[in-house]
Amino acid sequence: MNNRVNPDLPRELREFGIRDWNECYHCGTCTAICPLTAQGFLFPRKTIRLMQMGLKDHLSTCVEPWLCYYCGECSEQCPRNANPGELMMSLRRYLTSLYDWTGLSKKFYTSKVWELAFIIIFAILVVLTFIFVLPPLDTTLTPQGGVKVNSFAPFHIIEYFDWAMAIVVAGLLVSNILRMYYRVVWQGTSNKVGLLDHIREFWHLIYNFVVQPKFSKCEDKSYWLYHWLLMSGYTIMFILIVVFLPWFQTEKIHPPWHLQRALGYYATIGLLIGLTAAIIGRLKKQEFKFQFSHVSDWLFLVMLTLTVITGILIHLFRVNGMPWATYVSYIAHMAILVPMILIEVPFSKWSHLAYRPFAVYFARLQKSAMTKTA
Amino acid sequence: MEFNPTIVAFLCNWCSYTGADLAGTSRMKYKPNVRVIRVMCSGRVDPTFVYKSFREGADGVLICGCHPGDCHYQEGNYKCLRRFKLMKKYITQMGIEPARLHLEWISASEGKQFAELIDSMTARIKELGPSKIKTVVETLAI
Amino acid sequence: MRSMEEARIGVYVCWCGNNIAKMVDVELVTELIGKLPHVVVSKNYKYMCSDPGQELIAEDILEHNLNRVVVAACSPRIHELTFRKVLEKSGLNPYLFEMANIREQDSWVHDNREAATRKAVELVAGAISRVQYHEPLDKRSVGINPATLVIGGGVAGMSAALEVANAGREVYLLEKTEQLGGMVSHFDLTFPYLYDADKMLEVMIRRTINHPHIKVFYNTTISEVHGYIGNFETTIQSDSNQEQTLTFGNIIVATGLRPFDASRVGQYGYGRLPNVITSVEFEDLLRTGQVRTKEGNIPQNIAIIHCVGSRNTEFHEYCSRTCCQVALKFANQLRSLLPDSNIYDLYADMRAFGKGCEELYTATSKKEIIFMMFDQQHELPQIIKSVAPGDPPMLIFFREKISGLGLEIPADMIILMVGMEAHPDVKDIAHAVGISICSNAFFIEKHPKLDPVATTTSGVYIVGNCQGPKGIPDSVAQAKAAAARVLATINQGSVHVEVTTAEVNETLCCGCQTCIMVCPYTAIHYDREKKVSVVNEVLCKGCGTCGSTCPTGAIRSKHFTDQQILSQIDGLMKMALKIE
Repeated sequence: MNNRVNPDLPRELREFGIRDWNECYHCGTCTAICPLTAQGFLFPRKTIRLMQMGLKDHLSTCVEPWLCYYCGECSEQCPRNANPGELMMSLRRYLTSLYDWTGLSKKFYTSKVWELAFIIIFAILVVLTFIFVLPPLDTTLTPQGGVKVNSFAPFHIIEYFDWAMAIVVAGLLVSNILRMYYRVVWQGTSNKVGLLDHIREFWHLIYNFVVQPKFSKCEDKSYWLYHWLLMSGYTIMFILIVVFLPWFQTEKIHPPWHLQRALGYYATIGLLIGLTAAIIGRLKKQEFKFQFSHVSDWLFLVMLTLTVITGILIHLFRVNGMPWATYVSYIAHMAILVPMILIEVPFSKWSHLAYRPFAVYFARLQKSAMTKTA
Repeated sequence: MEFNPTIVAFLCNWCSYTGADLAGTSRMKYKPNVRVIRVMCSGRVDPTFVYKSFREGADGVLICGCHPGDCHYQEGNYKCLRRFKLMKKYITQMGIEPARLHLEWISASEGKQFAELIDSMTARIKELGPSKIKTVVETLAI
Repeated sequence: MRSMEEARIGVYVCWCGNNIAKMVDVELVTELIGKLPHVVVSKNYKYMCSDPGQELIAEDILEHNLNRVVVAACSPRIHELTFRKVLEKSGLNPYLFEMANIREQDSWVHDNREAATRKAVELVAGAISRVQYHEPLDKRSVGINPATLVIGGGVAGMSAALEVANAGREVYLLEKTEQLGGMVSHFDLTFPYLYDADKMLEVMIRRTINHPHIKVFYNTTISEVHGYIGNFETTIQSDSNQEQTLTFGNIIVATGLRPFDASRVGQYGYGRLPNVITSVEFEDLLRTGQVRTKEGNIPQNIAIIHCVGSRNTEFHEYCSRTCCQVALKFANQLRSLLPDSNIYDLYADMRAFGKGCEELYTATSKKEIIFMMFDQQHELPQIIKSVAPGDPPMLIFFREKISGLGLEIPADMIILMVGMEAHPDVKDIAHAVGISICSNAFFIEKHPKLDPVATTTSGVYIVGNCQGPKGIPDSVAQAKAAAARVLATINQGSVHVEVTTAEVNETLCCGCQTCIMVCPYTAIHYDREKKVSVVNEVLCKGCGTCGSTCPTGAIRSKHFTDQQILSQIDGLMKMALKIE
């Protein structure tokens, strides 16, 4: 590992949202107040120290930024207004770009032009595909009076697209997670973790993904709920679209209590509540965690909100027999959804859905290595 | 009952008494067996003072002055040192263990050394046991 | 000699809040002491030194017709004068008073309440026994020579000299070198406001040199001073090697400091590596306006190392108090001169205290200075010559304390923040003027808090860095405080001096002249006609060595007579045996 102090790194991190990186004088109040920091994983102070001194190699093996859920308590208590919470947030962006081997993540985080161009190009591709490749809209209605969605977006074709996209995205994400694993566990513990440890600690990954218990340890529990609703809504919707599309995108209109519609409604409501809380928070800027919004934060919220709204519109137009409105909103939905998933899941903010539970898992592995050394 | 010696100490005003005060301001703890008598200079310590202390029942006598070369009165401590050597001989002839009389240089900044000195001297005198000279003198009715 | 009248003693035991009362049962002491013969009143009070405490004594003196007073409280070095004044105001001679030290030498140093209480009783008993033999002593007052001697021509010395001279009094200013200005003449800018040191100094020097009441002696040191407050005298060797005798009433010592010798810290390579320089040398570099390495290149990586020689038991345990702020000043100056350079600041602790200094630290931290912490006590950084091609010429290896990591820093230039230390000749000065030095070789003040510029020798004051490391504002404040003290004594025209001198009983004196041999001040001479020794009270400083030397008991050290001390021994030993 390179142990040379490197003043260029903090300068580089500016583009990931770090400001006032040198205000911190290491009193340790942030670490003392943090409800999540623990023996062996002391943050934010230690992580900030590595950042200040530009120790890139050490930072890249750090799992700590992912263990922080940014309640903002540290920033509130900081006597120097160094905003440690935001520093941790910025480091998560930086680490995401470090794990990504394509280099696109860094481009998206540090250049608005790249990010917007990518979105627009893929949006146009989606629109063109619908117009020129897929079958045209059948304006006749089903016997129930619904729109024939499968006429212009046949689920077996869309399903192929979904699977293809899921495989690409998952492939990228998995390869990045492997890189994260290599740095955090392999390098971070000098390869001291045995296979048995990997198996024994695995349930932490699942448990933390589903319940997010660490977030609930933060002072303000309401955000755990908002965040959990958002996450579970998203995950359910994602599974419905990718795995169960033939069952989900039916022309038959089921009664509202039917599982298909009930799950869809739950996911939509969960997403809406979570998004509203986040958007209001970022607009009001009353809490520390919402005070500084990076472009990537807003872009993610806006795109997801638009996806949800267009999704709701598709549903409304379809059940009420409005073929053209359904057609347009379906294309809009896909034109937003596709670039969002392509950018967000492997390269940007949405990747924390994977990195966070994996970080908890990797932290457990590091800990088992530590106890071994001790 | 445990033997609790009484030690009479003559401290010069400028170095040793100030050093003893410093031990106090620094809240150092030492044995409560010493009774300090302040003199302006260790050169003022008349042999009579030492003999009187033993005569009245002191188990030990301590004289402290400035370090050589640091005397506020230039060389009073040297004169004290010479007298001390003579006093040692004298008390031995009187039947007092020479270890009961001790001379040490303590500067104004040596509060710690003073505290340690009192502890070590108290321990030494405890080992020697009570001084018998007072009883001897009284029995002989001198 | 016991006075004819019957002793009527008032004893007052102080609680000192909880300082004494916590460890000493003051009620019990008061009770036991009250039973001793001649003790008329025995009282205790929360704070004897307070106004109501003093009034209590004054009232009792009148009401009970007391003629002796004993106060058991703190060290007589602190409040003996306070209580003597109470006696004086109540019409008693101030010397009919004795103090028992039951705080610094009892309650504060013991943790057994019973033993401490017992010790207090014995100490008070000794004092009571002694005070019976106290005699009224007459005050002696001496005239004040209105001239003042200031030793040292730095900022502190000049400030003091100007302050005294501006009041129209003569000042002799002694400077060791050939120019005024001291350490500050090396500085480029001052912290925290980055004022130009030269401009400030220039005005001060000009005023000093041109002042009608200040006479500056260059290249002059002092060897011996005779006399006492109001009437000092010394002989100096002036420039032209001519001897000149100066007489003055007060002395202000402002001999300053010297920078720590950085080569003593082996691992920093000072002296071996050309681009490792001290903060003093860097100031000189800044004064040229161009920061360049010894080879003439613009340094890209500059490291500043704090606490060189300070806060390390191997060198000096104390903090030099200004280096952190100077380091921050350097970082700021470097950032302006070399905006693209990498600046590393290695500190042991950042101690940016003082007006405007924490603000300087905050402002500096916004300028991309990399602050790092090292372990000053156990693991000093190591500076080595770099051999790898493409590397800067030097590498600093150190363990960063906050992260716990062993790190390296590339450096083209390394600035060592050297601490301050006392001049090697302080001992000579201390001897010359009769003051003491502490374990760090700085002069000791009379009271660290309540009398910080005076010394235990009346008429001698210490200001600036010779008293302890400090910055310019503190030095100037001390200088002006000392000047105020000097002017106050000059204005009074005369001062009371200690009367505890020696005295010869001519009937007992056998004329052996032993006392003349031991007197360090040649204060005793032999009267050939009467064939006795005679003490010159003006020269006598009251050490008492003659008294303990006199074979016939003819010499009495006033206030420390044989009888007084013997009865003190008697008193405390009798009480000790009684308690047993």
